[in-house]
Amino acid sequence: MSILQVSALVAGYEPGLSIVKGASMHAAEAEIVVILGPNGAGKSSFIKAIAGLVPISGGQVLLDGRDITMVPAHLKIRQGLAFVPQTENIFPLMTVEENLHVAGGILPRPEVAPRIAEMFDTFPDLARQRALMAGSLSGGQRQMLAVARALIVRPRVLMLDEPSAGLSPKLVEQVFAQLSAIRQAGLTIVLVEQNARAALAIGDRAYVLVEGREAHEGPAKTLWDNPLIAELYLGHRKEAS
Amino acid sequence: MNLQFLLDGLIAGSMIGLGAIGVTLTYSILRFSNFAHGDFMAWGAYAALAVVGAIGGSLPMAPLSFGWPLLLAMVVAMGLTALLALTLDWLLFARLRARGQSIIVVMASFGASMALRSLLEFMFTSRPTYFSRAIQIAQPVGFGIRVTADQVALLLLTLALVVGMHLFMQRSQRGREMRAYSQNPALARVVGIDVDKVVRATWIIGAALACASGVMVGVLVQIRPLMGLDLLLPIFAAAILGGIGSVPGAVLGGLIIGLSEAAAVQFVGAEWRAAVAFVILMAVLLVRPMGLFGVAER
Repeated sequence: MSILQVSALVAGYEPGLSIVKGASMHAAEAEIVVILGPNGAGKSSFIKAIAGLVPISGGQVLLDGRDITMVPAHLKIRQGLAFVPQTENIFPLMTVEENLHVAGGILPRPEVAPRIAEMFDTFPDLARQRALMAGSLSGGQRQMLAVARALIVRPRVLMLDEPSAGLSPKLVEQVFAQLSAIRQAGLTIVLVEQNARAALAIGDRAYVLVEGREAHEGPAKTLWDNPLIAELYLGHRKEAS
Repeated sequence: MNLQFLLDGLIAGSMIGLGAIGVTLTYSILRFSNFAHGDFMAWGAYAALAVVGAIGGSLPMAPLSFGWPLLLAMVVAMGLTALLALTLDWLLFARLRARGQSIIVVMASFGASMALRSLLEFMFTSRPTYFSRAIQIAQPVGFGIRVTADQVALLLLTLALVVGMHLFMQRSQRGREMRAYSQNPALARVVGIDVDKVVRATWIIGAALACASGVMVGVLVQIRPLMGLDLLLPIFAAAILGGIGSVPGAVLGGLIIGLSEAAAVQFVGAEWRAAVAFVILMAVLLVRPMGLFGVAER
């Protein structure tokens, strides 16, 4: 059964100027769903609309069967939908620990400190930098902090917008390995990515978004092997077998 | 050399610093310059005056010039000033903020400032008034400096308010939320911060501290409808000098402005006092626009 079900979503920043034009997707429990597509396809706007950051003018978002389409962004995290933006995804003038504290604010107070400790166990790199200003972290550490910040409230679904952006190949590998490990714990992950190869390697299913709506859907491995899709939308050429 | 200007500057700087905290919070969180902030100080002082009048007379707590009714009145007036700020936001600023053009909100704050000032003149006349007409004798404390008990009490009150405010911003969840929101409003929403609560906290804290500052001016100088307007430029200069968004910066900026004004009176001439804040403001904007503790715009 789908934990996240998005149907015919229409969204955009300006009234009458939709960027997302009827896109649909679904994600099951402990599944990694990858959303790919060419530049300007509306991938980021799609995921931001689901998170509540881009106004929705049509369609429906169901989380665990509940309609959260028009729920404000700050309440969606309370219902189990976490989002990690592509850039500016940490509070740079707060320490690493304060970043986790502020995100943990929606938990019951006695749970905050133990959850921060758990995040530091999961991301030991962050534990060593806990008193540093988050703005001074490296790109990879920032991404880790952004993920830890999202995980601290035990979400049901974690959505990430291009977590590999600006990272070296080695760091991309680390971040994606971490996401695979997180999925093992039963979390559903929705991943918008330009780095199709890395994303499809850990994904279960994938969607290709074109001009604001999904053009293809299928198992991640199949999508990578589809020569037409690979050439048109994923930026690599593959000989048909 | 007479060092009295140091104490005078410290006291003036305390009042400016308390006012500047509200300005810096409003600017960094609500993203607009609230030119009605000085009028919150005046309204706070008059609210305290009205409450003192309602409570009735009481003997001063010697050696202070005021008694417990003023302390109680200040607490009540802080609440009333916060209510005024929340009402103004609900009636005016929130609606204009929703349209997303901050310059319109700034212009509206000019209008609100004039309206608030005129209302005070209508209700209390423009004649100066006082919490107490008792004359305090300043006592020598060394180095040629003389200080009154009221001045010491109000410096201690400023210190308590500033330390309390700093602890609130650093240690409390709401303070962390306010800092987070000022750094990145979209991310703040994503992590579950209720924007409405942050906005309310900003108005309540800013207005309450403006009221405290206004009461201090009333105790040490006098109460006039124009008192907030007179302090507006120094307050903005302090907020910008300290770095927009920084509470310690606002207080330090206030102290620097206060000390500079007092030094100008001592060494240059009293007629140059008002120009000091303007000169400092221009210098900061030209040399280091982000101020002492601020960071460059994202």
